[in-house]
Amino acid sequence: MNNNNFKNIILENIVTLFMKVMVIYSFYLLLRGHNNPGGGFIAGIIASTGFIFFAIIHGTKALQNIIKFQPQLFIASGLSLVFIAAFLPVIISKEILTGLWIQTKIPVWGEFHLGTPLIFDTGVFLVVIGVILTIVISIMEVLKWN
Amino acid sequence: MSEYLPLLIGLLFLSGILVTVLYPIFKQRLGWVLSLIPLTIFVLLLISLGDIGTQTIKLLPSDFSLLPGIDFAFRMDGLSAIFGLLITGIGFLVVLYASWYMKKYNRQAHFFSYLMFFMAAMTGLVFSDNLMGLFIFWELTSVTSFLLIGFDHHLEKSRQAALQSLLITGFGGLCLLFAAILIGQIAGTYQISEIIASGIDFTAHPQYQLIFILILAAVLTKSAQFPFHFWLPGAMQAPTPVSAYLHSATMVNAGIYLLLRMHPVLSGTILWKYSLILAGVITMFLGAWFSMGQKDLKRILAFTTISALGTMVLLIGIGTPLSIEATLVFFIVHGLYKGGLFMVAGIIDKSTGTRDITVLSKIWKPLPATTIFGVLALISMAGLPPMLGFVGKELVYVAKIHLPGISWIILPLGVGANIMMVAISLTIFVEVFYTKSKKPAIPIHYTEKKLPWYFILGPGVLALAGLLLGLFPSGLNQVIANALFVTKNQVVDVHLLLWHGFNEILLLSIFAILLGVIVFVFRKPVTKFIRLTIKWFDIYHLPTIFMNVMNQYLKIAGKYTQRIQHGYHRYYLMTFFVATLAITAFQINWNFTELVPLGGFSTIRLNIVILLMVSSLAVLFAVFSMSRLSAILSMGVVGYGIGLLYLLYGAIDLAITQFLSETVIMVLFVMVIYYLPKFAKLSNKRSRIRDIIISLAVGAGVTIVVLHSRALNNYEPISNFFTENSLLKAHGRNIVNVILVDFRALDTLGEITVLTLAAIGVFSLFRFTIKKESK
Repeated sequence: MNNNNFKNIILENIVTLFMKVMVIYSFYLLLRGHNNPGGGFIAGIIASTGFIFFAIIHGTKALQNIIKFQPQLFIASGLSLVFIAAFLPVIISKEILTGLWIQTKIPVWGEFHLGTPLIFDTGVFLVVIGVILTIVISIMEVLKWN
Repeated sequence: MSEYLPLLIGLLFLSGILVTVLYPIFKQRLGWVLSLIPLTIFVLLLISLGDIGTQTIKLLPSDFSLLPGIDFAFRMDGLSAIFGLLITGIGFLVVLYASWYMKKYNRQAHFFSYLMFFMAAMTGLVFSDNLMGLFIFWELTSVTSFLLIGFDHHLEKSRQAALQSLLITGFGGLCLLFAAILIGQIAGTYQISEIIASGIDFTAHPQYQLIFILILAAVLTKSAQFPFHFWLPGAMQAPTPVSAYLHSATMVNAGIYLLLRMHPVLSGTILWKYSLILAGVITMFLGAWFSMGQKDLKRILAFTTISALGTMVLLIGIGTPLSIEATLVFFIVHGLYKGGLFMVAGIIDKSTGTRDITVLSKIWKPLPATTIFGVLALISMAGLPPMLGFVGKELVYVAKIHLPGISWIILPLGVGANIMMVAISLTIFVEVFYTKSKKPAIPIHYTEKKLPWYFILGPGVLALAGLLLGLFPSGLNQVIANALFVTKNQVVDVHLLLWHGFNEILLLSIFAILLGVIVFVFRKPVTKFIRLTIKWFDIYHLPTIFMNVMNQYLKIAGKYTQRIQHGYHRYYLMTFFVATLAITAFQINWNFTELVPLGGFSTIRLNIVILLMVSSLAVLFAVFSMSRLSAILSMGVVGYGIGLLYLLYGAIDLAITQFLSETVIMVLFVMVIYYLPKFAKLSNKRSRIRDIIISLAVGAGVTIVVLHSRALNNYEPISNFFTENSLLKAHGRNIVNVILVDFRALDTLGEITVLTLAAIGVFSLFRFTIKKESK
């Protein structure tokens, strides 16, 4: 759709902005996911929605430039993160996939927990983005979208 | 000292990974660096041999377990020490040898990586005290040997040989797994030491036959026994250092090790005795017989290995302390001379470019030192004094003579195999090293002076070790006694002697040597006759039969896959729905009074009624719509309706996920909709009626199941556990998320793996279309 005869600057800018907002919002959802609605899966879909809209307007090439890496790399790094989170407890001889937590008190925040489930969730987040983007980009390339 | 053993085995594995990092640093010196690790283990084992003395079994329990009961506990005793010493000692020499042999090859780093993994797996195998650990290492040796045999993977032959060995030994590995599970079930533990100590009489157990046959299958395949022997000659497609290692101390000897390890538990039955003796005798004689008919030096050696393995299996089958002693000595003998001979064959191959004994001649001139080492190894193989081979062979004779009942058939065949060995050794000596006849001289690429010393070190060390141990065999007494204690569970005094005095055994030896010389003198007609028999056997050419069976199997599998995986989405769905419905209908209790929940139905809320009505209307619209876009949009309405339903009942995370995935699906649909063919009604009336019936039945079925499950609240729902522990144990207030990433993280792990597979599938499918279009 994005050829030289047809160029809608307003639409393009809005979509870029939309994509950025979605990605930032997805990070927010990812981080708060353990206590409030959200989490890796939802955040992953939200971020991918932003990317999909961006790709529809700007084309897959532009999307590839924005995300810098192949979407398959997202899947790979996500899976590695998940496996790291799964096998970290094994090192200190606990059952596989046991949640490990660090608890500290931060002055303004209050009680603060950081643990392997967050790493796990981040992995899920990356895998979901990677999977959706792989599928969407493959489809768009077959359709010769740009 | 032996406490460091698990660490060192870990280091071996690690070095296999680190090769990629080390190779750019050390380049051609990589072999030197890597050889230090097996050398360290070898020295450590030698030291701890003095430490542990006789009749001791040192257990090294492991802190790390994959699953409860399946860990990497190690044991250090006489038996594993003998195998470990040979594996690491010859491993050290092989790595040094390979560092020059593989010089011209590309992918050197790959080679050393595979070799180190192979060595690590083999070392782990003989020291493992856990049956499951042993199985894992066993399979690892199969996999790594597959990589090593198929190292020249640009050659069709190598690939085929590698695949053949993998399939055969892999089959044996599966049998071993079943046997291990059965033994573990009976004994209640997988620790070998505990199984032996438990005193359970496995031979009286009703499942003994099954266990034994499974173990037997593992051993016959791994140790290349008849009728599975054919993968071993094929495996000589591997680079020579690998062959030297594979034949002398590792891989094929794993089966021998397993038999010796399981001896205290499984031996003593008629089944054990006669099946091993039968397999061993056939293999022993056929191996020796076939080797005489070969021309390729490596092939000759491969068949003599088969013969030697047969001898060992036969001796274990006999099962007296004397025969086990003979097995152990013969294992050392065989490791020493076979490793040396293969390395010599490699040196000759490098310096002349051929291994054909009908072409080779006068090797002693360019390669004097190699000739000396090779001849020493040949003497050991023929079983002549003063090499250790003589000691071993005498012991084998003693064991066979003292076999009540069937020694009249075993002994002649054993002597026959030995006659062939003598003849082969003489033939190799005369044809390759020393030739008087008028064979044309062959071109020499490298004389010995141009070869680096560490290339000839291997055969040298092994030949000298064979000579020294032959002259002073009493040095082995303690080692053998300790291994015997482990295997036979009794203290046996071992006195190895080179010279037994003049007795019937010596007469047998002299007889075998004389006949061997006669066979050698008439080698031309004899080889002709043997080649003829090989031709007869080739009617049942086992590798070809094996490949045919495999191809047939693939064909049948392909045919059935095409029938099941027909590629029509609608029929997949139909199969899935009908099958699920049929199974539930069969299982469910058709008592409709139970369909009302215990507390009665909850009150009907107006907003939900409206929601359901809208959704149902959307479904009807989707079914009867004449345009694809409106059908898709109305399906979207249904999806959002379900999301709203989640929301109204308080499942916020589910609702969000439903909305989002619905949105993404809508976007994708709309994206491809322009490229789809025109909307048309292709199905006829009958199939549409059938579909309506199926969908109505599925809907009704699901409703009944849901109502039924509400009524059958026999167990306390697990949700209470989640609500109670979510914040306390998992520090999260969002229960859904806590379930996803903590309580049920394994499920999530599986799900994202499936997602990844789906993405890979879509990616490769579309890539394929793109490529096809661009062509």
